[in-house]
Amino acid sequence: MGEKILKVVNRDRCTGCFSCMYACSRHVKGVGGTGKSAMRVRAYSGTEGAFSIRVCMRCIHPDCAAACPTGALIPAPGGGVRLDREKCVSCGACVRACTIAALQWDEEERVPIPCIFCGQCVAYCPNGVIALVERTSGGE
Amino acid sequence: MLQGRILHVDLTYGKTHIEEEPELFAKHLGGTAVATELLDRFGRTDLDPLDPRAPVILAIGPFSALYPVATKTVSVFRSPLTGELGESHAGGRLAAALRETGVDAVVIRGASKDPVFLHVDGHEISLRSARTFWGQSSPATDRLLREALEKKGRKLSLVRIGPAGERLSPMACATVDNSRHFGRLGLGAVLGSKKLKAIAVSGKGSVAVENPKSYRDIYHDIYEKVVRSDEMKKYHDLGTPANVLTLNAINGLPTRNFSQGFFENAQKISGEAFLEEVNVQHMACAHCPCGCIQVAELREQFAPSHYSTVRVSYDYELIFAVGTQLSISTPREILRLIVFIEKQGWDCMSMGNTLAWATEAFLSGVIDENNTAGLSLSFGDTSTYLEVMRRVSEGQGEFFRDLEKGTAFCSSKYGGGDFAMHYGGLEPAGYLTGENAVMTWIAGVRHSHLDDNGYGIDQKLILGEISMEDQVKMQVREAQWRMVLNSLVICLFARGVYDASTISKGLEALGLDWSPEKLLDLGARALKAKYAWKKKCGFSPERITIPEKMLRVRTSNGLIDRERMKKRLELFLRYAGLPCPCLSSEKRATT
Repeated sequence: MGEKILKVVNRDRCTGCFSCMYACSRHVKGVGGTGKSAMRVRAYSGTEGAFSIRVCMRCIHPDCAAACPTGALIPAPGGGVRLDREKCVSCGACVRACTIAALQWDEEERVPIPCIFCGQCVAYCPNGVIALVERTSGGE
Repeated sequence: MLQGRILHVDLTYGKTHIEEEPELFAKHLGGTAVATELLDRFGRTDLDPLDPRAPVILAIGPFSALYPVATKTVSVFRSPLTGELGESHAGGRLAAALRETGVDAVVIRGASKDPVFLHVDGHEISLRSARTFWGQSSPATDRLLREALEKKGRKLSLVRIGPAGERLSPMACATVDNSRHFGRLGLGAVLGSKKLKAIAVSGKGSVAVENPKSYRDIYHDIYEKVVRSDEMKKYHDLGTPANVLTLNAINGLPTRNFSQGFFENAQKISGEAFLEEVNVQHMACAHCPCGCIQVAELREQFAPSHYSTVRVSYDYELIFAVGTQLSISTPREILRLIVFIEKQGWDCMSMGNTLAWATEAFLSGVIDENNTAGLSLSFGDTSTYLEVMRRVSEGQGEFFRDLEKGTAFCSSKYGGGDFAMHYGGLEPAGYLTGENAVMTWIAGVRHSHLDDNGYGIDQKLILGEISMEDQVKMQVREAQWRMVLNSLVICLFARGVYDASTISKGLEALGLDWSPEKLLDLGARALKAKYAWKKKCGFSPERITIPEKMLRVRTSNGLIDRERMKKRLELFLRYAGLPCPCLSSEKRATT
């Protein structure tokens, strides 16, 4: 109990500015762009204007880790996963195993991008779409 | 971290390749200055603007995908509407997507025999058949291609033309993502002439920065200003439609083909009214925490108990062009016109102005029912305007086919030149504020209200006297400074946030050394380079005539005086360091 999880609290207020993804890449990886972001805003076509936000659910028993054939992706204390880069063979099984497509993939380094729940995406959302909250139930 | 990857596309031979030219960006920064240099290198001033050899150039800048509100991509080409510099900027996700694929500029030449689209998919670049969706509307093309190309976890940006571009209408635009546009000066026709239906860009790269710590700090300062200061509040709340009431209050809102600056129903079609009645959402360009895109929903009954709903975005210039200019008094009717224009892929400002000219021409007897095949044009008549556009889109009759060629073409063929609202071939934006606005349309490099803030200077004059010399100096300084902003490339709505010192520091964090003085020098240089290219095309500002009607209409600052305008132009050219030709005093022919 007590650990923080990310929660999409106002999905319908998202304007699709992607400030969250830029913040993640910038603060966690020290680079510009959105390619190394551990979360994703998906835009649907045209001006229909619906956005869907995918953040890591910090699963206690993560499907992504279970799918990893080499033990590179390991469940972290309190939920979520950590990556042991040495062991990763870039097979992508982890990303495919995450049914809701929350686990992101670094196309340049060909490794998954585990979320560290630092809350930078929350801090840079101008519309209060995402929140960092305390886990209240079992989480799964 | 210097940019410099240029994608060259040859549509005639179906080839693409990348060339590295970091020195180009080292010297010209990026965006508009780089694009102008490439236009000078590859552009053809001796050929028709729609000749296959005429290039289309796109460019982003050093701030693209790295700082907030650096959302714009610059396009340059030779305009089929004016015959000289065509330049238009668009937001959406294009700049971010290009940066993440590592493409800093695109040079498109040649023409394909069959319809194609350009697909920039990470590092894979291909030209693919567009036969199956040639003829589709602009929003339909977006839906079809997006579904076909979208990949998990990637953003996709889509530029496309509608049927208007395929028909080579010189007022055709290219639409980007969610109703953002390369709107002005006819890029849609140039792409249409190349049989290039769409450009799809999708990438997921990261951008290395020289000094991550200072980059994060400067980013944070800029972000805070964008989100929390008043600099962008107007755009964040009402968006550009806030201008409707602001301009109406100073009699600067062009109404019924620039007959007056006051629209009696401005309240009903104000930004506030749109927000209350039809707005459903604000949206943002990629990397803009402000989010000024106003999205409306148009719900219409098409049969008893049955409704259809379409979402479309609106802005001030659209409300002006098909609202006050045509005397349309409800948001819903304006939206119906916008939806039609959006599907066809016309520049709404050019189409609205041309419909306003046609209406005045009909009402004053310059054209009649023989031209319109029985249609009777009146200001305020939405149904007839929709029918006119339907006939234009279906090419029904000579007059309707001519309408999409713009105000200048139509007035030179049918008459009514003295009330034909265009400057050098381009229909103006929505400002009846005074002489500075008119100066922008004459001397601005792309004849756009965004060139130098002339309308803003007019608005300052209402508050207090400024000498003509100082007004023109402000205008020139702004024109030069905007060359810098358009080279970064930031959205001009964030111009209050990006001062010279902020920009200089922002570039330093990226490892780029541009002092405020060096930036100002670039601005002056880029403005001159654009004028030089325009001149090669035969452009000369003193030959641009003011519509006679404009001299008889009261603006926010009284009447426009021909002699004062000559003096202003002389000053403008002198302050900008441009050659000052002998000014002619010719009047515009009335036929």
